[in-house]
Amino acid sequence: MSVTGSVPGSMPELLPELDPVIHAQARLRVTVALAALPAEDQITFPRLQQLLEMSAGNLSTHLRKLEEANYVQLTKTHQRRTPVTYVSLTRAGRRALEDYTAALRLLLTPQADKSVQPDQPGG
Amino acid sequence: MAERDTDVSIDDDDGLLSAGESPALIERQQQEAQRRLGFNPALILGLWGAAYLFGFGAIFLTYPTAVPLRLPGAVAGVLIGVLFAATTVISIVTGVRSGRGLRGPSRAAGAMYGWSWTLGFCALAAVNIGVTRLGLPDDAVTLLWSGSSLLLVGVLYLAAGALFQDRFQYGLGVWMLVSGACSVYAGVPGNFAAVSLAGGGGLLLAAGYFALRHPHLQTAA
Repeated sequence: MSVTGSVPGSMPELLPELDPVIHAQARLRVTVALAALPAEDQITFPRLQQLLEMSAGNLSTHLRKLEEANYVQLTKTHQRRTPVTYVSLTRAGRRALEDYTAALRLLLTPQADKSVQPDQPGG
Repeated sequence: MAERDTDVSIDDDDGLLSAGESPALIERQQQEAQRRLGFNPALILGLWGAAYLFGFGAIFLTYPTAVPLRLPGAVAGVLIGVLFAATTVISIVTGVRSGRGLRGPSRAAGAMYGWSWTLGFCALAAVNIGVTRLGLPDDAVTLLWSGSSLLLVGVLYLAAGALFQDRFQYGLGVWMLVSGACSVYAGVPGNFAAVSLAGGGGLLLAAGYFALRHPHLQTAA
């Protein structure tokens, strides 16, 4: 787990870094929705769009960013001559979401402790 | 609260997201995805439960029984026919729609499971009609159909329990097997009461359970 204070303006103490690819409202929603599918299952672009209630352009933009990070896989195919794009979370994407939630937990839990226990070990 | 300390925000084209908001967003999106992608059998179980309860209940009431109500055979026949046809269509449409836009191993497993209902009942009809042609007493024909139908339903719920790792559906399968076996020994018209009350009642209770139970799907968090 990388612990740095790389985010500008963050507290001087150790903070877990939140993956900037996932830590954005739209991409977090996309990733969580894809993670709800059983591993290796794929969903078509229109059904994912319907599920997330996002515009096609908006969803495309965020999927491209997730694809660049190798978090999602886009598979283009044809069904009865109609082009269909299937979207799925890669193993790296699933892992990244797990790391993100773990980092969140680390980031949020010590804050509660700090208010009752100002003498942090290792701080 | 901890708002001030968790101000790790990233300016994105989608707007700001603070770390403090993330858990709620994850939770909300997970529930939404599970609700929309997960298949909740409550509706189908409820419809079949009602079809069994009222359809076979109506057939039971065409016989002279302790119940002071008698239905004409034609009324009961039309009622059960309409109920079963409508429920079959709704089940198939719901099943097919749930897999819309999805593919992969779990989708293939779900489709194979769906087809096993159709294949099973086609084979059951072929066997029962074939046996009936040899000449069976009317009561034996009636018991053959009610017993074998519930047996098949029970086995398919056992399969659902194994496939979807759901002990409750497995338990429902056991209940339907017991109901099917008991219906044969109840004789005519007791078998119709057994299928209606034990079979239909069991399905309705299961529907209630699934309607109340929180949907569960695999998630990363």
